[in-house]
Amino acid sequence: MIRRWRYWSIKVKLVALCLSVSLLGILLVNATLIAHQDKTLREQLANELQVTASILAEQALAALLFQDQQHLGELLNSLRHNPAIELACIFGEDDQTILARWEPLTGHCDAVDPVSSGGFVKGYFQLSHPIVSEGEQVGVLFLRSHLGDLQAGMARFVGVSLIAILGSGLLLLVITLRLQRMISGPVLDLSDTANRIAEKGDFSLRAPITNEDELGRMARAFNLMIEKIDLQNQQILQSHELLERTVAERTHELTVANRELEAFSYSVSHDLRQPLRAIDGFSQAIQDDYRDQLDATATHYLDRVRAATQRMGRLIDGMLTLSRVTRSTLNLRPVDLTQLVNEVAAQIQEQYEGMSLPGGINVQPDMRCMGDVELLRIAFFNLIANAWKYTSRNSERKIEVTAQAHNDGIEVRVADNGAGFDMKYVDKLFVAFNRLHAVSEFEGTGIGLATVYRVVARHQGEIRADAQPGQGATFIIRLPCSRQGD
Amino acid sequence: MTSRALCMDKLNILLVEDNPDDQLLAIRAFEQVDKKNKVVVVEDGEQALDYLYGQEATGAQTDRASRLGIILLDIKLPKLNGLEVLKAVRQHPETQWMPVIMFTSSDEPAEMLEAYRLGANSYIKKPLDYKQFVNQMDVLAKYWLKLNKVPGECLNS
Repeated sequence: MIRRWRYWSIKVKLVALCLSVSLLGILLVNATLIAHQDKTLREQLANELQVTASILAEQALAALLFQDQQHLGELLNSLRHNPAIELACIFGEDDQTILARWEPLTGHCDAVDPVSSGGFVKGYFQLSHPIVSEGEQVGVLFLRSHLGDLQAGMARFVGVSLIAILGSGLLLLVITLRLQRMISGPVLDLSDTANRIAEKGDFSLRAPITNEDELGRMARAFNLMIEKIDLQNQQILQSHELLERTVAERTHELTVANRELEAFSYSVSHDLRQPLRAIDGFSQAIQDDYRDQLDATATHYLDRVRAATQRMGRLIDGMLTLSRVTRSTLNLRPVDLTQLVNEVAAQIQEQYEGMSLPGGINVQPDMRCMGDVELLRIAFFNLIANAWKYTSRNSERKIEVTAQAHNDGIEVRVADNGAGFDMKYVDKLFVAFNRLHAVSEFEGTGIGLATVYRVVARHQGEIRADAQPGQGATFIIRLPCSRQGD
Repeated sequence: MTSRALCMDKLNILLVEDNPDDQLLAIRAFEQVDKKNKVVVVEDGEQALDYLYGQEATGAQTDRASRLGIILLDIKLPKLNGLEVLKAVRQHPETQWMPVIMFTSSDEPAEMLEAYRLGANSYIKKPLDYKQFVNQMDVLAKYWLKLNKVPGECLNS
């Protein structure tokens, strides 16, 4: 109950406050009035009875002096005209001898002690009035009045008070209900505006200002605050738009640059190859048509020309593959890596027939992952061709492709027992055109591993290598099999 | 459409190639595989269409197209490129079924796909190695000229 007022609306709180304070005031005033009225009525009663007693005592003096009990009785009998008095007694000078009595109701003068009993007692008002003759008391008059009239008067007064309280309470309620709007109105308006702004996010709304009091100032401050928020929002929006525009511009520039790069690599593929073909073709033509006129050295030189041409051709092809791997659209599908590696291995075995040795390629069954099958084919072709190439000087060839689950992806290891390399050059391994072996040692372009690195990066994967000179090399590729690439 | 068929040895080969080195190498490769077919060389797409469908100085419609066995078509050509020539060849009733072999330096997958979509019969990447070049010409001439040979009277022309 104590806490329930927290859930009241401000309207109810205001009405409750006004009504309770006002009603408390009214009640206090009325209680004071009632108390005062009670006191007045009692004083009045006492006064009246005192006056009656004085008159009676004076009239009774003569009869008392003459011991005329009959006259005393008649005198008391005259009290019948005052219905409030229900007992009257006249005692002698010893305060005990009853000389006359008036007992219309249940009271008896025998039970009265005129000396000690006086004032308001048990629903009565009673008094003892000495009857004095020449400074000497000759008797006592005792009067007892019931309080019926006083109580009726009080009841009437309290009734009127209650009606007044009720009436003024109702009037107060009506007035309070009307006047509370002066305070609750602006507060409710403000709260309503705040709610609408919060719900709709419409910062153009403003709270109405009707007063110049504290509430008016609060509404004004609120409006100012909303205005500032609105302004800041607009600034944020503007800088956001600017940012978007900048991003769009950059993207456009990048797209243009990318397109130029594509055109460039297309030209490389198309135009650089043509002169090479002519060099190779006409060298061959010289060797064929002028065989008789060429000595061994000339033929050898022409062989060197043709070998260089082939190497340049491979370089161009490598660059093209690298560029294609970088810019082609990533097409993620479930890939059977075992099948893919087996196909690649077969292709390599066929292509490098001359380099065949005892041993071969072992591929773990049932390797699967998500990926772009064409890009992964290029990557594994390069890795296994490398392994094949660097084991070509061995007495036995051992190439193993294995895989194990890693987080939510797969970790593939391509291990060989070939020439290996020194780990201090590992940083150069995946950079295009960097080689760790001389061409005379092992033929190569230095593009293959850069291409593998690109493919793995586009799959959001990781690649690292582990090797020792003469102990073989292992390439470890981690591919996330569930996530998106790029 | 002319319905006369020629023997495969008599069918011409149209080589659309702008680079003189490649022209010479192709002709030489053909000679080396000992083919009797005449290789007609044109240097760009416009000349190719002119050769196929053009009017001679006399104004008479030529029957050159009917004497052709295959068209070897480079893609990167001046004026009209190879793909545009291919499109025109496929739309013309006289050459609708003519074997067209794309013969190019590029192995761009997109370009290859586009060539096949437009109706190329084959797509050959020009090799760097001259020996491979000769082998390719051999296979090409044997396979495509033989395939294109229509049984019937051999005309001497």
